[in-house]
Amino acid sequence: MITCNRCGKENQDHYKFCLGCGNELARPAPAPSPSAGVGSDGPLETARTVLPPAPLGGMPAAMAATVSAGELRNSAGAAKPKGGIPWNDSPKMPAPVPFQLPPNPLAGPGAAPRSTGAGIHPSTTPAPLRPTGGPGGEIACPNCGRSVQVGFAFCGACGTRMGAAASGPQATVGQPRTMFMAGASAAAAPAAAPRGRLILIRPDGSEGGSHPIHDGDNLIGRGQAPLFDADAYLSPRHAELSIGPNGVTIRDLQSLNGVFLKIAAEEPLESGDIFRIGQELLRFEVISPPQALEDGTEVMGTPNPGFWGRLSVIVGRDVDGSAFPLFGEAIVLGRERGDILFPEDGYVSGTHARISLHDERVFLTDLGSSNGTFLRLRGERVIPTGSYMLMGQQLFRLEFR
Amino acid sequence: MLRAMAMRDCPNCGAQIPADNRFCGSCGAKIDIAAAPAGGGPAKTMFFGASQPAGKAKLTVIKGEGMDGVTYLLNATEHLAGRTEGAIMFPDDPLLSPRHANFIYRDGHLHVLDEGSVNGVFIRIKAPVILGPGALFLIGEQLLQVEPSPPDLGPQPDAEGTYFYASPKRPSKMKLIQRLRGGEIGMIYRSRSDTISIGREGNDVNFLDDPFISGRHAQIAISPEGQVTLSDLGSKNGTFVRINDEIALDHGDHVFVGQQLLRVEIT
Repeated sequence: MITCNRCGKENQDHYKFCLGCGNELARPAPAPSPSAGVGSDGPLETARTVLPPAPLGGMPAAMAATVSAGELRNSAGAAKPKGGIPWNDSPKMPAPVPFQLPPNPLAGPGAAPRSTGAGIHPSTTPAPLRPTGGPGGEIACPNCGRSVQVGFAFCGACGTRMGAAASGPQATVGQPRTMFMAGASAAAAPAAAPRGRLILIRPDGSEGGSHPIHDGDNLIGRGQAPLFDADAYLSPRHAELSIGPNGVTIRDLQSLNGVFLKIAAEEPLESGDIFRIGQELLRFEVISPPQALEDGTEVMGTPNPGFWGRLSVIVGRDVDGSAFPLFGEAIVLGRERGDILFPEDGYVSGTHARISLHDERVFLTDLGSSNGTFLRLRGERVIPTGSYMLMGQQLFRLEFR
Repeated sequence: MLRAMAMRDCPNCGAQIPADNRFCGSCGAKIDIAAAPAGGGPAKTMFFGASQPAGKAKLTVIKGEGMDGVTYLLNATEHLAGRTEGAIMFPDDPLLSPRHANFIYRDGHLHVLDEGSVNGVFIRIKAPVILGPGALFLIGEQLLQVEPSPPDLGPQPDAEGTYFYASPKRPSKMKLIQRLRGGEIGMIYRSRSDTISIGREGNDVNFLDDPFISGRHAQIAISPEGQVTLSDLGSKNGTFVRINDEIALDHGDHVFVGQQLLRVEIT
């Protein structure tokens, strides 16, 4: 509930204006309540307001937990219309992205070039994926030497951000890029310097600080660093990032809420896998064919019309809300179009993701959504630089070299 | 030979009535005689069934559209039904437990007992019934149950003080769960209102492909206290609820055991 600060009426969490007096309701802010529960002595009531995921995009509702209340309000405001989508909403991001993780799909297109400033508003926006000129020639990556298509912001082989010269046509992106380079070069110089960093992405797509990643094991958890401390959805020992010879491995330390990786390509799904689109936490399960009991009796029920799986909406610990059967070759999830709709979740794109069955396996694919599709990590995984991950309520991008 | 030739189902309540009756003896509905199956001797003969003493019942297996199958005369005190045991045996019905149900007379009245079967005994409802939590019911081919939503306690941290992230909470009074053959859950529908209407089309929940479901078939309502009531909305094939252990049967009742639909006739 949100209590109107003008007339005192209680309004539902997703209301933007008071039903009693029309006053614009103060969003409980992305930094949900739980955080309140942690540090402050906020009563449960407060905590409850947290969940309403208002401003934060499909993402972590409370990504901005480390920011002050005032800033929160601002960022919430920035995310304005439709409660939605803080980032680039450009609907079409055609498929042919040659490397694994697109550099920054989240980047707000408009925002980036405009942010000229240094320091405070570092734009997360890397160069747009597609150069205006279209795929032209290739240039060598200054780091690994592989050829990189002109216009790409990052090397597809090693993830190094390409210099301004490399992306030629995109003069406007120069500013943000410089920002980044400044940070990186500073980090790279001394031998003891961190090998990489975990960058907090705020709801509006800007960067909200970073956490250094050193060689060896790096523990991520509430209480481990300022960036994590305000997030009540982060376990004290949440995850571990290890830099080894094969790259960076991320490991979920059996955290309560898990680590969610933004999927880049079609990902195989196993029964029990959990993923997020917008604010929806969903679990996929296989529906197995009926089997007779020991005494030969079969459990009665509706004849299965061809359901091979089920998608359940997780609404609480061990509590499911709606569940949708999966059938046919593919089921599309979206806010407005598709087979399973989440019309009230402004962080779900019109068409967002697809669950498909082929080659006797089930796959999850993002359909160019604005906010991405995040699959909960099973155990551990080696991830490339530029990977986006949700931990607790916050969204991070991993950068390393 | 069965005497069923002279009988027909009341189109309103499904009770067995003599084919030439103008009104249903059970529910009083007016019968369109012209539509009745032709022929048949005087209905009276029915009541003189030589093999069936007064007060005793028989069970008739209903096969599809108005077709009757075997009739079992319940002349003993107990009549066990099952897949491999009992006088009423259906060896080919995998949904029946070896010992499934028992039809007994107690104090001169016919009862059916669930013999601890896997799938239970279902009876067609004649009036709205109260459903216990998780109680199973049958509509067409759909096996369903209702669960009232537990009270929302708000976010609760775990032992380490971490809060669980879940999808946004959207208030819901109850949910309707579809049980697939084999026991898996198919669909779960969460209702935000106090009622859920069920049918083939135009309802809150529609089963378009289920030919045994009427357009508007049944409705579920939950009271402010959380009591769930199931009503049949005049459906053609009826709504069946799973009984707890035992229930008394009356003339015209319909009982489902496994895949067998049985009509109770008490003379």
